Amino acid sequence: MDAENGEGQVQVHLKTKQEHYAVPDVPYAIDGTVTTAELNTFVNALLKQKDGSSSTDTDFDFLVFDEYLRGRLCDHLREKAISFEDAIEIEYVERFPAPEPQDCLLHDDWVSAVKASGKWILSGCYDNTLNLWTNKGKHILTIPGHTAPIKAVDWISLDEETVRFVSTSQDQTAMLWQWSVASNSVECVSVCKGHERGVDSVSVSPDGQRFATGSWDTMLKVWSAEVDDAPEGTSKRMKESGVRTPKMTLQGHRESISAVQWMDATTLLTGSWDHTLKVWDLSLEGIKTEISTNKSIFDASYSRLNRLILTASADKNLRLYDARTNQGSVVRNTYLGHNAWVQSVMWSNTEEFLFVSGAYDNQNKLWDCRSPKAPLYDLLGHGDKVLDIDWSNPKYIVSGGADNTVRVFKSRKALTEDMETK
Amino acid sequence: MTKKIHLKRKGKEAEPTNEVATSSEASENEEEEDLLQAVKDPGEDSTDDEGIDQEYHSDSSEELEFESDEEGNYLGRKQSSSAEDDDDEEQSSDEEEDESADSEEKDEVSASTSKKIQPEEKPSSSTSSGATKKGAATKELPKRESQSKPEYQDSDTSDEEDIRNTVGNIPMHWYDEYKHIGYDWDAKKIVKPPQGDQIDEFLRKIEDPDFWRTVKDPLTGQDVRLTDEDIALIKRIVSGRIPNKDHEEYEPWIEWFTSEVEKMPIKNVPDHKRSFLPSVSEKKRVSRMVHALKMGWMKTTEEVQREKQAKRGPKFYMLWETDTAREHMRRIHDPVSAPKRDLPGHAESYNPPPEYLFDAKETKEWLKLKDEPHKRKLHFMPQKFKSLREVPAYSRYLRERFLRCLDLYLCPRAKRVKLNIDAEYLIPKLPSPLWEIATGRCIRTIETDEVVRCVAWCPNPKLSIIAVATGNRLLLVNPKVGDKVLVKKTDDLLAEAPSQDVIESERIKTAVQWSNAEADEQEKGVRVVITHFKPIRQVTWHGRGDYLATVMPEGANRSALIHQLSKRRSQIPFSKSKGLIQFVLFHPVKPCFFVATQHNIRIYDLVKQELVKKLLTNSKWISGMSIHPKGDNLLVSTYDKKMLWFDLDLSTKPYQTMRLHRNAVRSVAFHLRYPLFASGSDDQAVIVSHGMVYNDLLQNPLIVPLKKLQTHEKRDEFGVLDVNWHPVQPWVFSTGADCTIRLYT
Repeated sequence: MDAENGEGQVQVHLKTKQEHYAVPDVPYAIDGTVTTAELNTFVNALLKQKDGSSSTDTDFDFLVFDEYLRGRLCDHLREKAISFEDAIEIEYVERFPAPEPQDCLLHDDWVSAVKASGKWILSGCYDNTLNLWTNKGKHILTIPGHTAPIKAVDWISLDEETVRFVSTSQDQTAMLWQWSVASNSVECVSVCKGHERGVDSVSVSPDGQRFATGSWDTMLKVWSAEVDDAPEGTSKRMKESGVRTPKMTLQGHRESISAVQWMDATTLLTGSWDHTLKVWDLSLEGIKTEISTNKSIFDASYSRLNRLILTASADKNLRLYDARTNQGSVVRNTYLGHNAWVQSVMWSNTEEFLFVSGAYDNQNKLWDCRSPKAPLYDLLGHGDKVLDIDWSNPKYIVSGGADNTVRVFKSRKALTEDMETK
Repeated sequence: MTKKIHLKRKGKEAEPTNEVATSSEASENEEEEDLLQAVKDPGEDSTDDEGIDQEYHSDSSEELEFESDEEGNYLGRKQSSSAEDDDDEEQSSDEEEDESADSEEKDEVSASTSKKIQPEEKPSSSTSSGATKKGAATKELPKRESQSKPEYQDSDTSDEEDIRNTVGNIPMHWYDEYKHIGYDWDAKKIVKPPQGDQIDEFLRKIEDPDFWRTVKDPLTGQDVRLTDEDIALIKRIVSGRIPNKDHEEYEPWIEWFTSEVEKMPIKNVPDHKRSFLPSVSEKKRVSRMVHALKMGWMKTTEEVQREKQAKRGPKFYMLWETDTAREHMRRIHDPVSAPKRDLPGHAESYNPPPEYLFDAKETKEWLKLKDEPHKRKLHFMPQKFKSLREVPAYSRYLRERFLRCLDLYLCPRAKRVKLNIDAEYLIPKLPSPLWEIATGRCIRTIETDEVVRCVAWCPNPKLSIIAVATGNRLLLVNPKVGDKVLVKKTDDLLAEAPSQDVIESERIKTAVQWSNAEADEQEKGVRVVITHFKPIRQVTWHGRGDYLATVMPEGANRSALIHQLSKRRSQIPFSKSKGLIQFVLFHPVKPCFFVATQHNIRIYDLVKQELVKKLLTNSKWISGMSIHPKGDNLLVSTYDKKMLWFDLDLSTKPYQTMRLHRNAVRSVAFHLRYPLFASGSDDQAVIVSHGMVYNDLLQNPLIVPLKKLQTHEKRDEFGVLDVNWHPVQPWVFSTGADCTIRLYT
């Protein structure tokens, strides 16, 4: 009866990859009912013994068989169908510190797109304007130019003097902008015309030479991101007008393309409402891999650290795919936690396992991909649907929503690391 | 075999002694015979050789017989014949040689040649009478051998016998009809000796003192006179003694195989190693037997014994099949046994405990229920008697027997099996819709002067038009969303009015006026205004987006109108009102027009301008219709809580009536791609159902309700007012009286 309740003893090995937190590798017999908190005090006590009770308490998270321990150890083991008699390896990692809400940037209308980079935050708004902010929350510029709501924005290059970025809109165009920081003047370098419907997504290539747009007209177009891309033969009038035509048009989706991301210099990932994820090879100008799912995809994110793809689709779940497998739609994992459609998802580009998501249940969530049952943190603050979330700048998680605000959350870990490097 | 040889040897040995015994009598004859044999001898050499062979074979006959099958038929046959010969000769020699020898030597002087040859015929030719003759011959053979070829002493074959008659071993009566009795070696007929009649025989019987010992040889027809020896032999046989009188019955016992157990082994050769090893062939044999035992092909002696015992013993059988099992009833397959009677309780005792006796109140109650006795707790009143003797006859006995019989007679005798099908089993495997309330941003609001009753997108993908029914006016609005080129094209198309070359009738003119929108309305996107003479209730587009139909419930006989966009023309399809028109619908493929009045639906052919069909809904009030994109199935919602599925090819009556909602059904909608339909009702529920229509015309549509989505709030008895599907995704939009539009996925 004891064993069934998990009240028996379990032999564990405590391990960690962070060496300054290592404890002696001896098996400990602990109670099956321990939770994370109890394990935490236990590990801290061990550490104190080792260091001579000098260090302060550190919070740890515990990984049992590659999954976060939530609740009692015995329940976890039972769920995974692991014998209580085996010696169990528990890996502990320093707990990712909770992000803190830092700022709330007010807009005039729904914020549909947001992107953070370095010192700046760029947001696209349903009132057809772009807004530039510093990450301290200071508003720098409002850029009108589009004639319909902005749907996506992305940075092209960041210099001390000039900053370039691209925005796409429902007015069927994408616009290239150049902003000189010193004079605080912004200039539309060129207008990219070619899509027949609203342009829903944009992504700039890793080298900053090109960008790709996905549109409601099911086309994927690749454009040059150079300031002056006009070849020699182009007429002067065309150059002056700044109208740009696509370098490449890729057709293959049957419905609107909702997500575009560069996987590397020649590979593009797209997610579409036609329930498929496609990986395009630009050197071949064709589809490399196709993953069929059974829901319309609203957003997809590819991590260069672990090469996995996360999707947000027309339901409450986030799904993890691996584009390297050929067996069609093999869902590697499903993350349950949101209560409404998830609109946006993004991997961290510094932490291998972390990602953020924004959903129509007015919540942002910070996840660890090893913890499918529950997110690490809920980032509350929005009063309406979250439309876009961004974590390009490791220090800040930025999200825009239908409550006309952009919320900035400070990621403490990145900040402390930053301080340490300084 | 050894025994056989032994016997033979004895027989042969006996012959010379016979010879010796009789020699004195027949010394003359013997000489003659010897002469005769001497003449024959050279010819017999070959046969003798053969005889050796056969002897050799017969000695080791058992082993060789097996071999013979493999070596060849010839050997086998030869052997078997020789074996036969052996046997025959043994018998004959044992039995009769003495006698025959005597007879020959004594009597047959005159006919010596013929007689001597006769016994040498094939011995197996005939029965005992023949054998007697033969015996005479065989007797002579060893004699001859003993003289000339002593090495053939043991030979007892008859092959070398001089067979006089060559007919062989046949029934001799075949020659009864002929004068001859066979053929000799020279192929000449052997003439039957003259047969005397009965008088001759009688005379012979009187005259011949040896008549009694004369027998006839059937082979030659000759009379043979038995010798004294023959007679002695016969006598011995008849008296049951050993035929050979010289046989020593009680000769001293030679113990060939000693009965004494030797202390030392006779041979000291150790057992061969092979004898310790289990034999493979035996093992195989045993396993074969075990298998046979297992399979029941073979039976152990015990079993066989038992079976025999059982066969011999008396046979019992169940008169009925079993003692315990229920009796099998021939016609009733699953009978229900008759209800059992309750066992009697204490109250039924003749001397019940006092607490079971009724007190005054109980008695009163019991008596009160006189008219409805089934309500009584007990059907009798407990009574107390001092002894069983005093108990009177039970007055209700007959009545109760009758009631019991009634019970039995009225009891159902067979169980009715109810078909139990798990409801889950019927539901086809579909992705179950998850449902969340989703978003949408209001892009544009277009204000109109009056209440908007109905809106409809133009289904033509090349046009960006919404038809808006507001008050008396039908507005064609360009919403200015989507492709800019498309928007502009639509604007261009709607801007110029085509020339009116057809003069419209007064009836239409009074009903409808086409006009371009005013400047302020142009601003809002309104392009064309079609002003009707009565408020418009519903508007619907034809699949190609050129025609649209409007319904004005108050329009009497002009309540349904069809407008053609490209020509800016209107038609009134019906000259007479068949009822209050509720809803109109274009067929997606054929030029058909569905008109729903309050009770019925009429289908008109727009080309031939005639009524095709009238669908009988059998309902009070139709609220809406939706046609399957393939065009063969029609869904009708009614205010009396029903949904009707019409298979248009099948009949004019509903294929299926669904009562899924608890209140008036306001709207139904088919999905364009998925086999789904949704219905919205005043009970605030949207029900999504699976409605599969098969290409195979013989297969009926499959309809399964899938999900009830109940999120709308109730306002003044109204719930969901309208439902519609996303054209591609499996998403349902519903509008409700609670001023919300909800999207379910």
